[in-house]
Amino acid sequence: MRKSNTKPKHTWQILVIIITVVILGLNAIPTLYGNNNALLISTVNPTQALPNPQQLRKIMQQKNVQVTQIINGASDSKIVIDGDDEALMRAQQQLKTTLGDEYNVRLGNQSAAPKWLQELGVSPIKLGLDLSGGVLFVLEVDTHKADQERLSNAKDETLQIIHDQGLRGMSVKIAAADNKVDTTTNSIGKIDLHFLSHQAAQVKLVVKELQQRLPGISYSQTNDRSGNLTFLEQNISTFHQEIMAQALSTLRGRIEELGITEAVTQRQGPNRIRIELPGVKDPEQAKRIIGATASLDFYEMANSGTASAKSFTDQNGQRLRVAPKPIFSGSNIENASAGRDEMGMALVNLSLDGLGGKKMSEFSRDNIGKPMVTVFSEYHKNTADEMIKKSKVINVATIQAQLGNRFSITNLDSPQTAADLALLLRAGSLDAPITIVQQRTIQASLGKNNVNNGIMALAIGLGITLVFMGLWYRKLGLIANASLVLNLVCLLGLMALLPNVVLTLPGIAGLVLTVGMAVDTNVLIFERIKEERQRGRSSFMATETGYKEAFATILDANITTMITALILLSIGYGPVKGFAMTLSLGILTSMFSGVFVAHVLTYLVKPQIKVKAQVAAKHQEQI
Amino acid sequence: MTTKTIIPASNCNEQNTISETTAVTTPLSTFSKYRLAGFYLAISLMVLSLIGLGFKGLNLGLDFTGGYMTEFTTSQSIDKTQMQSQLASHLSDDFELNSSATNTQWTIRQADGAASIIDKDWLNTFANQSSYKITPQDSVYIGSQVGSELIDNGSLALLVAAIAMMLYLTWRFEWRLACGSLVALVHDVLVVLGLFAWLGLSFDLTVLASVLAIIGYSLNDSIVIGDKLREVMRAKTNMNMSDLVDTAVKSTLTRSLITSGTTLATIGAIWIFGGQPLQGFAIGLFAGVVFGTLSSIALSATIPQLIGLHPEFYQHRAQELLLHEQP
Repeated sequence: MRKSNTKPKHTWQILVIIITVVILGLNAIPTLYGNNNALLISTVNPTQALPNPQQLRKIMQQKNVQVTQIINGASDSKIVIDGDDEALMRAQQQLKTTLGDEYNVRLGNQSAAPKWLQELGVSPIKLGLDLSGGVLFVLEVDTHKADQERLSNAKDETLQIIHDQGLRGMSVKIAAADNKVDTTTNSIGKIDLHFLSHQAAQVKLVVKELQQRLPGISYSQTNDRSGNLTFLEQNISTFHQEIMAQALSTLRGRIEELGITEAVTQRQGPNRIRIELPGVKDPEQAKRIIGATASLDFYEMANSGTASAKSFTDQNGQRLRVAPKPIFSGSNIENASAGRDEMGMALVNLSLDGLGGKKMSEFSRDNIGKPMVTVFSEYHKNTADEMIKKSKVINVATIQAQLGNRFSITNLDSPQTAADLALLLRAGSLDAPITIVQQRTIQASLGKNNVNNGIMALAIGLGITLVFMGLWYRKLGLIANASLVLNLVCLLGLMALLPNVVLTLPGIAGLVLTVGMAVDTNVLIFERIKEERQRGRSSFMATETGYKEAFATILDANITTMITALILLSIGYGPVKGFAMTLSLGILTSMFSGVFVAHVLTYLVKPQIKVKAQVAAKHQEQI
Repeated sequence: MTTKTIIPASNCNEQNTISETTAVTTPLSTFSKYRLAGFYLAISLMVLSLIGLGFKGLNLGLDFTGGYMTEFTTSQSIDKTQMQSQLASHLSDDFELNSSATNTQWTIRQADGAASIIDKDWLNTFANQSSYKITPQDSVYIGSQVGSELIDNGSLALLVAAIAMMLYLTWRFEWRLACGSLVALVHDVLVVLGLFAWLGLSFDLTVLASVLAIIGYSLNDSIVIGDKLREVMRAKTNMNMSDLVDTAVKSTLTRSLITSGTTLATIGAIWIFGGQPLQGFAIGLFAGVVFGTLSSIALSATIPQLIGLHPEFYQHRAQELLLHEQP
């Protein structure tokens, strides 16, 4: 190796620092500008033209709303307004009434940063509900109820097979014992199958037929006259996954129908869904739409020979016996819209997808002149807090002619019922009942207040720390301060850059705490440098050794904090998650700025670390 | 004046020279006495906290118990007893009313399953009938099942954190040192919980987060001191254990105080300016850092000494390492 007296140049380190700081710094800037409220207008029909900007501006002026900008996109136009949520709501209402049903008007926001920054694709940090105001729901999907429902369907199916094959003496019923033991755990229900001792061969056929219709069911014989049917463990967990996926996509669809673009819908734990709706003021409408588990089924009337016919009572108290299986259900509905018939009665126009249309046209062709029953089912909680499925016959219509994939349900109570039903049918139905287990409404004013408080706390905390470090360590303190400010910039940039990172009030607390704790890295190093200096090393050597020796301790200390932050991240939701997120990102950035940046800065500044002559002398003596 | 900071360090150097000349069996130095006094203080704080937790219990917040919470403001200040009686005539179930110091900000807590739930309409009617100008701020509903699940999850998190730390520490340090850090950690968590129990402050999710943050902070301190103690034990053979611990604690004292100071200053800023929602969090963290500093000085290095950590352990180790390195 070539020996040289030149000290390291740190060129690449400086490059890395500059690049990192520029990238993260650019990402941090838009946050300082914040967001403006905006409205998104899109057409229902893609071929239709968007309204022109002059027209939009005029509509806005009618309601005294200041327009900052109108951006015409490919599929929607965005009106950026200068005003609070109150003005936004007013504007949305006005647009809806003026433009009519042909257009969708959704709420959104637009970064207030200068244009050149927006063109770089950087956006502000997303704010949590406690800072922006809005509504939070946590919904629980009742998978247990869905299991029971599926089991009872399987029972009906089995009964039908037995009936079709004319096997007398064979009977099925849902085993009650298992459900009684514990309804909260995943006790898997069973169907008991009883048969005569000579029917063993037929049982096999029945089971085979059943397995073909319902894959995932298994049969085990208990003795020569009975056996039971259960769903396989694996099949049940797939079923639950499917239910959750369906619930998530349905809820997303419903939220979109409500016209909220910034909503966060995510799974929380095995059977919960967390929905955050920023900017929503009135939780009641959202609750009615999101919390509903409505489904629509179309049944054929049962003829006398049908086994296990379902029966419903219509409005007039008449009992109707219908076929066990519906002709088709709400999931086959492609589009639905509310309207009125000639008599002024509310109705819902439906159009079916390919499969539903085929089923419908086949059924109606064969059953002209016969009645068809439309059943609307909804889950309700009774006083004992149990989910009860409540079904209501909406109408019994006589099929006049062969129907295609378009028809309507008439005879609804009110225009509101029709509108809600249409919305629910459009957004898809839910098979498993859902309940709201957590709800929170935060007013926007409180959110703004929280932001101000948080920024105040951050400014004061940062101020005290900077002043103290400057006074205590002088030149080294300035280095620490520079790296602390860079740390904050990097942290904000990183939070804006990473998706799924949301700034909450506890998140700001985490930010403030990070400032206080990031100093620790510098303090550890500086104390070490002073110690080395007392041992008689030169300023340069003391600095180098200080950074090197203190690193192990710093790493240890940060790893322990990281462990707690990660544990918090994995268990916490909402407020705790926000805190853990900033804490863990803060550890990363403070390591970067405290060790790496400060080291290079120290090298560039070359501070002379004074040492008390007496002490140094004593040290020399000792050594 | 950078020289200022050297004062504790110079004290420590004088200490070293004194202890070198005097015999190993000298009575404890004044610093050791303070350290031991701190040790007994910390132990009695732990006992006191246990008593508080046992007899008074934690005042669990809405996050854990479930129920309804409604927050609203009134434009003018209203007497609390008046508000209480007016609310009582409108609400059939039990409720808990809290107000800010100025009596303009109100929180009402109701149990899950209450018959008359406060919502927007309810507040409007109440505002009309009582002729107060009421602005709703925040309303929360948490199902009781969610709450009890959270208790399980929270306890689990505390346990997992403690175990993860213990594993990390035993891997990193000798078991006696790890033990000392662990006791310091238990002390910090226990004392903060005890404080919340004694003062009857509401223990919610953010306070739990602060307790977990304290775990990280406490260990941070213990590790710095542990590292130093190990270094001192390797370097100085002719000192008794008590003096070695003194040296380690003293030379990290400046750092402990500076870091605690800046952290406390920032937490203080959150406490004063962060507003109502962060109050519990800030109190928990503030107490945690204060007691954490005490425990790191008084407990984390004293306990290894009491359960028989000897400098020989690390010197042997150093020699073994040397042998391995130079075959």
